[in-house]
Amino acid sequence: MDFAEGALQAFRAIFASGLVLSSLYVMIAAGLALVWSTLGIFNFAHGAIMVIGAYVAWTVSIDLGLGQVPGVLTALVASALIGMVVNRLLVQPFLAQPNLVLVTVMTTLSGAFFLENSALLVWGPRIKQLEKLVDGNVFIAGTAISGHEAAIIVVAPLMMLGLWAFLRFSWTGKAIRAVAQNREFAELSGIRPERMYAIAFAIAAALAGFAGVMLGSIRFITPTLGADPLIKAMIVVILGGLGSIPGTIVGAYLVGFGEAMSTYFLGAYWTQAVMFLVFILILVIRPNGLMGRE
Amino acid sequence: MKRNVLLPALFFVVLALVPVMTDDSYIRHTAIIALLYAVVVSGWNVTLGFGGVFNFAHLALFAIAAYATGILTKTYGWPTWMGIPIGITASVIAALIVCLPVLRLRGIYVILVTFGFGQLCFQFVLNQRELTGGNFGFVRIPPLKLFDYSFRADGGIGYYYVALLLLLITVLLIHRFANSPFGWRVTALRENEPYAIARGIALARVRLATFAFSAIFPGAAGAVYAQYVRSASPDMFGFSFLTIALSMLLLGGAGTIWGPIVGALVFSVFSEVMTPLGPGRYLVTAVVIVAILRFFPRGLSGIPEAWQAGRKRSQAVPLQSRDA
Repeated sequence: MDFAEGALQAFRAIFASGLVLSSLYVMIAAGLALVWSTLGIFNFAHGAIMVIGAYVAWTVSIDLGLGQVPGVLTALVASALIGMVVNRLLVQPFLAQPNLVLVTVMTTLSGAFFLENSALLVWGPRIKQLEKLVDGNVFIAGTAISGHEAAIIVVAPLMMLGLWAFLRFSWTGKAIRAVAQNREFAELSGIRPERMYAIAFAIAAALAGFAGVMLGSIRFITPTLGADPLIKAMIVVILGGLGSIPGTIVGAYLVGFGEAMSTYFLGAYWTQAVMFLVFILILVIRPNGLMGRE
Repeated sequence: MKRNVLLPALFFVVLALVPVMTDDSYIRHTAIIALLYAVVVSGWNVTLGFGGVFNFAHLALFAIAAYATGILTKTYGWPTWMGIPIGITASVIAALIVCLPVLRLRGIYVILVTFGFGQLCFQFVLNQRELTGGNFGFVRIPPLKLFDYSFRADGGIGYYYVALLLLLITVLLIHRFANSPFGWRVTALRENEPYAIARGIALARVRLATFAFSAIFPGAAGAVYAQYVRSASPDMFGFSFLTIALSMLLLGGAGTIWGPIVGALVFSVFSEVMTPLGPGRYLVTAVVIVAILRFFPRGLSGIPEAWQAGRKRSQAVPLQSRDA
């Protein structure tokens, strides 16, 4: 095998798995970025909400046997509701505190702890898996991936487009951005900040729930399924600049392809360590991220 | 002044008598772990409570000390009495490394980078299977031995007194720290960083010293823990361990000398009482943390004052911190 052929093969493998990973990270990180840009807090319960979404979908579509579409829809509604509860109980009561960021790290961390252990109590420690949404295989750049993974690759950018259009054009989306930019002035214009915070949180949580459903048919569902993607999503939002949606998208694709490349060349075991090293270096060199503002 | 010495002395005398009153091995085990927790959380209190810097790698320091002790005394055959010095050295070096990026960061970024450091160590432990035992943990660590006396004898009573001695030294050191010019500088940086720097406090030097000082405690406790339990596991880098230590700190009240100690002991008893609940006890733990943050931001140590002040509570915010 000559060099060109080897390079082509490497490129194919990296391209397909990089696209799948990036698309998953976009979905998860977008919710984190939305909450950060609206409320200025970092939601550590995001990964746990994702897990609950996957479990709810499992209960509805497999345990109760009601089919996939009701499962996905219930998961979206359930995770949005949990997001609103997290917002109401763990974030809103602390908004007036001067050290909001740090206090909410502790409260949402407790929330994650609560949700993970609830999942363990309700669904038990036995691993579960969802069925794939789309059957069959698709070829991308000469590499076969499952139809489900292809669906993730297509859906993720569409969701980002939808989120962008919502924030840009709809009244509610504009109101959310207004509250984020200047709460007092937004209130003067008749916007109710509490409601906007709740909506932003619900959307972020629904995105997490959807990502959970998508992930739940690729990996096994366990109560701690959300921990690893949450950490990756953290790296993504830091890389992209906290709170910037375009930055988050770029960050997700960088992290996804970086992970795929590192897995191919260095092996799965070293990839994680390399990613954290890069993460710490980015924080030190450019704390505001690649596209973040001062 | 005398009253200030009397209560702590009484506290330690009572704890010293516990093994005399009962030799139930379950109670003794719980007590040893609780004392070690008290030492670890007191150390965390130095950076988080007095310094206002959120070092989420603090529990990773404890794990690093445990692994270092285990690896050097088992694989490399160092004498077991070296355990505590090894643990402290490893922990302090790791703390200085974590502190370097922290010097440049504030607010949420400090949390993220310290948390990332813990995960980096976790991945390292998983990858270096030959050295660390990987997923299965590092097991069969040699127990502490002094002059042919194995501390495993007599139902682990030796470990109990080692842990108690560590706690006594911890209290003395932190008391000394809180009333020293160094401690005042640390608190000054927490209260008003620009003003403290303007008054000539060298931020980088003080912060490095704070991290190094706080790392002594998880270092010593990690070494004793490894020699007592005779294993070190990758779970020690995990979320739940961090959450438990955090709730001890918040329960007792950060920024006071006795708060974290009382918090660790009360929480340990509380958690043993709740054992029959299974995973349900973690739900209670989570609710307790949020409730404390919401209603008693100064922890148990703030309750008497909150009582006196009646409805005027919540004026003081415990975790004054550098914010983004």
